[in-house]
This record gives sequence, C-alpha cells and structure tokens, in this order.
Amino acid sequence: MLLLQLRNELWKLFGKKRTYIGFTMFLLAQAVILLVFRFSRASADMGRLLENNGYDMTQFLSPLTAATFTNFWLAIILLPLFGALVGGDLVAKEAEDGTLRLILARPISRVRLLALKWAAGSIFSMLLCLMLGVSGLLLGLTCFDWGGLFYFFPGESFAVFEPRDGLVRFAGAHVFMSMAAISVMGLSFFFGCFNVKPAAATILALSIVFLSFIMMNIPWFNDLKPWFLTYHLNLWQQLYGEPIQWGRIGESLFLLLGMNATFFAGGVAVFSVRDIKS
Amino acid sequence: MITLEKLTKIFGTRPAVESLDLTVPKGEIFGLLGHNGAGKSTTIGMLLGQVWPTSGSVLVCGHDVTRNRHDALRKVGAIFETPIFYDYLSGRRNLEILATYTAPTSAQRIREVAEWVGLGGREDSKVRTYSHGMRARLALAQALLPGPELLILDEPTNGLDPEGIHEMRETIRRLHRNLGLTILLSSHLLSEVEQLCSRIAVIHGGRKVFDGTLAETRASAPKLLLDVDRFAEAAALLLTEGWITGSDPTGHVLLAPGRNVSGIVRRLVEAGFNVEGAQREPQTLEDFYLSVVKSARLGQGTPSAPPPVAASIRPS
Repeated sequence: MLLLQLRNELWKLFGKKRTYIGFTMFLLAQAVILLVFRFSRASADMGRLLENNGYDMTQFLSPLTAATFTNFWLAIILLPLFGALVGGDLVAKEAEDGTLRLILARPISRVRLLALKWAAGSIFSMLLCLMLGVSGLLLGLTCFDWGGLFYFFPGESFAVFEPRDGLVRFAGAHVFMSMAAISVMGLSFFFGCFNVKPAAATILALSIVFLSFIMMNIPWFNDLKPWFLTYHLNLWQQLYGEPIQWGRIGESLFLLLGMNATFFAGGVAVFSVRDIKS
Repeated sequence: MITLEKLTKIFGTRPAVESLDLTVPKGEIFGLLGHNGAGKSTTIGMLLGQVWPTSGSVLVCGHDVTRNRHDALRKVGAIFETPIFYDYLSGRRNLEILATYTAPTSAQRIREVAEWVGLGGREDSKVRTYSHGMRARLALAQALLPGPELLILDEPTNGLDPEGIHEMRETIRRLHRNLGLTILLSSHLLSEVEQLCSRIAVIHGGRKVFDGTLAETRASAPKLLLDVDRFAEAAALLLTEGWITGSDPTGHVLLAPGRNVSGIVRRLVEAGFNVEGAQREPQTLEDFYLSVVKSARLGQGTPSAPPPVAASIRPS
C-alpha cells in the first residue's frame, strides 16, 4: 500500500513537464560549459597548470575532470534551484490547484501524505544528482579520452587521482550531493506546508540558501563558516580532498540529517493544524 | 450516518459555523441549503477532516472524524464544486492515484466504475482534453471507487449545462435507488434540492435556521390565491383579524396557523367582499427558503420551526 502510494506521488511528479526543466537545463548547461572549456583557452590553461606541476596533461584532461569541472558550479547554483522548485511544488502546488482537497477527502493521514511527498521529492533529488554525474561523464567522453581526475580550486585544493580512485570519488561526491539537494528540497517543502503559493515556498528556500552562500563567502565571516547552511551543503566537495576529511563529512552529514528531520517535522506540525479549504 | 453536535468553526474572529447540530440518517438524500458563504463548505470541510472544528463533534459512519479519520472516511466518497484533477495525467491514472489513498483498487473495478459513470472509452485520454461534463463524471467515478456508503456532494452541478445537470440528477437518484447510498447534497440550487432530497437543513450565517422534511416546508405556511374584488382592502382586513400573515399584489395570501380557507371565504363574504374563488397553492421550496432566510436576518429564525411569512409575500 505504502509503495503504491509512493508510486502515485512519483507518477504525479514525473507526469509534469516542469519536473523535467531541471534535467533539461542541467544537460544544456553541461553541454555549454563543456564546449566552452574544450574549445577555449581554458583546457589549455588547465593542461599547462598540470604540466607545470609535473603531471601529464593527456592523462588528466579527461571526462572525469571535465565532468567535475562542469558540475562544480552547477551543483552550487542550479541544483538548489531545481531542488527548491520541486520541494515548493510538492504540497503548495496541490493546495493551490485544489487536488489536495480531493486527496484529503480520503482516509489518508496528513503525516503519511507528507512522508510520501517528501520521499518522492528525495527520489527526484537523487535522480537529478545521478543524472548530473552520468550525463557529465557521457558528455565528457565525447570531448576527452578516459583518464584520471584533476580537481583544482584556487587557494584551496589541488589534487590528482588515478582513474579508478577518481571515479570512486566522483561517484561518492554525487551521492553526497544528493544529500545537499534533498536538504534544499526539504527546506522548500517545509515552506510549502504553510498556506503559501508554490513560488513563495521556492523563493523563501532559495533566499535562505543564497543568503547563506553570500555570507559564507564574505572573508570577514571566515571563522563563522560552519554556522552557514551552504558550508554543510557543500560536503560533497570534501570527496575531492586529499586526504578525505571524513570527520568534516560526518559532521555535515549529521547536521543535514538533523535539518531534514526538522524541516519535515516542522512541515508536519504546520500542515497538521492547517485548514484545507477551496 | 452523520451526526454533528454543537459544531463551531471560527476563522480568526469570524464565526463560519456556529453551534451546528445536524443528523443525517442512513439511506437519506439530505439537502444542505444556504447562500454562498453561509457555512456549507466549511461544514463539509469539517465532515471530511479538512477543516478543524473550533469546538463540537463530528461523527461520520459512527466514528469521530477528528480522532479517527481513517475509519470515519473509509466508506465515504466526495465531490467538490469544481472537478479538479491532475490534468496532465489520464483519467484512468487519476482514478488509480486517488483510489489508492483509500485502499488498493483493482484495474477491473476502475474499469467498471469508469463505465458506470459513462467515461468508457475516454479514460485513457489526458484529463486536460475533457469537457466539464466529462470531468464531473470523473469526479463521480473517483467518489464511487471506494464503494462508499456515504456520498458528500458539494455543489455537484456547478458549471454544468442543463443536460449535464439533468444527467447528474438522474445519476444521484440511481445511486440512491440502486446502491442505497446516503447522500449529503450541498447546494444553493433550490430546484435541485427540491427534486432530489427528502430532508433539508438551511444554514444562514453559520447557523442552522431550519431542519426538517421537504413535506414540512410545503405544509408550513400554505399559500392561498384569492380572487376577490378590492383585494388590498380584503387582505388588510384578514391581516388585522389574524386570518393571514401576509399578502402580495398578485392575489396571494399566507394562511395564519390554525386558519382555514372556508373560514376566510366566509369572513370576506360577511364583510361584503365579492369572492370569486380561493385556491390553495403549495409553497415552493424557494418561497420557504427565502422566508426562512429573511426571518433569520431579522433574528426571528428558530431551528426546526419554519417561520410563517414568505419573503415573496409582504405583510400588508
């Protein structure tokens, strides 16, 4: 029964065209970034950087490097956007359209309904990250030969990994990226449980994420970083560190799980006392 | 089947429903009448556990909706004024989705119900391609899927053309006759209620101002068509002497309680009027409804006791 109801939520989610906006935009964005990277000076500059540090650029200018390069900013900027868009729609759009009233004329509890919706939103978020990783790699394969992974973040990280190690880290990063996407979806879902329009829920969630991002990047607030949401949303970047800071990952994961539980519990509390009217 | 006791809902400081007592017996087609904003939809919302009562209790199928929503709504189907669905999905998929919120439903059952309501052949089309009438059928199908014993219909004919209204009316009759469903019909279309219901309650300003059978509404204040010379003078005399409670310029008077036609005719003849005819006319539901609401506005309404003056008949 639970699985049938979850299937329903997925039918509803994946039956809508707007659900695919995220998938389509990611594909387009990846293709554009990759093409510019491949056919501009960027790839040559990266190759030079590798060679200046004693590495063979032909080994590391690879699909893994290209996919990591393209997905880095997409995961920071676009992923929250699409997570928030779907999370805001889950409850608020049904309330706005009037279908929520149709559902709640049936003997399903509000908590169960929210749990199903949250689960569907989480599955969407995971699929989005999975697609981001797979399509990044596939697009990368059209431009580069298979090789190791080069990860460079000015002032913070310079790391090279053998193909096998690189692939594991790339896959792991996308698994943790799902956690970040689920968290933003959950935040937007929480706002959607109030009596607000879906757009309002999405904007509220994004505002919090972007505010956190801005504050985190103000140099004067460096020592406050662990207090910002985006600091923990970026836990996936730790997979490209050498060595991997498992403690830092565990801390962020624990905090994000707590936040998700809070968002869900808050959503349930708000939604349970709400009057659902036409 | 439905029992509401001292049910009250206050939104902010505005009472939407006030101390509403109502009983809908099993097997009845019960009409819930009231103008827009009277509190009908809020009452239905509380019946379905969508709106939380401020105080009072709601029993549906013997279970308290606020405490045991699952058992209370297990055998309940509902239709709302605007048939809204997941437009981007097919009718069949909509039915599958909605049915599973109650219990797993077989494809065979969905097919049967779709056919029963007249959706046959179109259930695989996207709902966005449906006409309003088709959506109304789909709404009926989703309400029937759980095999309900109670059907709650909130303005089910809203937006339908005359043919659609007729069809919906016949379907409601068929459901009542063949399946023995108890039906709560909320409407402000008096003709609908008059043709379908055996019992009604009138809600005004969140309060119940009448609860009784349709027969009671007809018998409550019989209308008399008087064919008499100098009608205005005759009506004034009858009103002064307490024979009637009101009149209108078209020759209609309302008999006061305990007075009869022969007594009125005799009195008029004694008073020198030339009475050509006096014919009883049953009071329509519209007359009755308007009089009840008017009385309620004037603060005279007493639940379950129809007031004597019809709004269409002015006191002389």
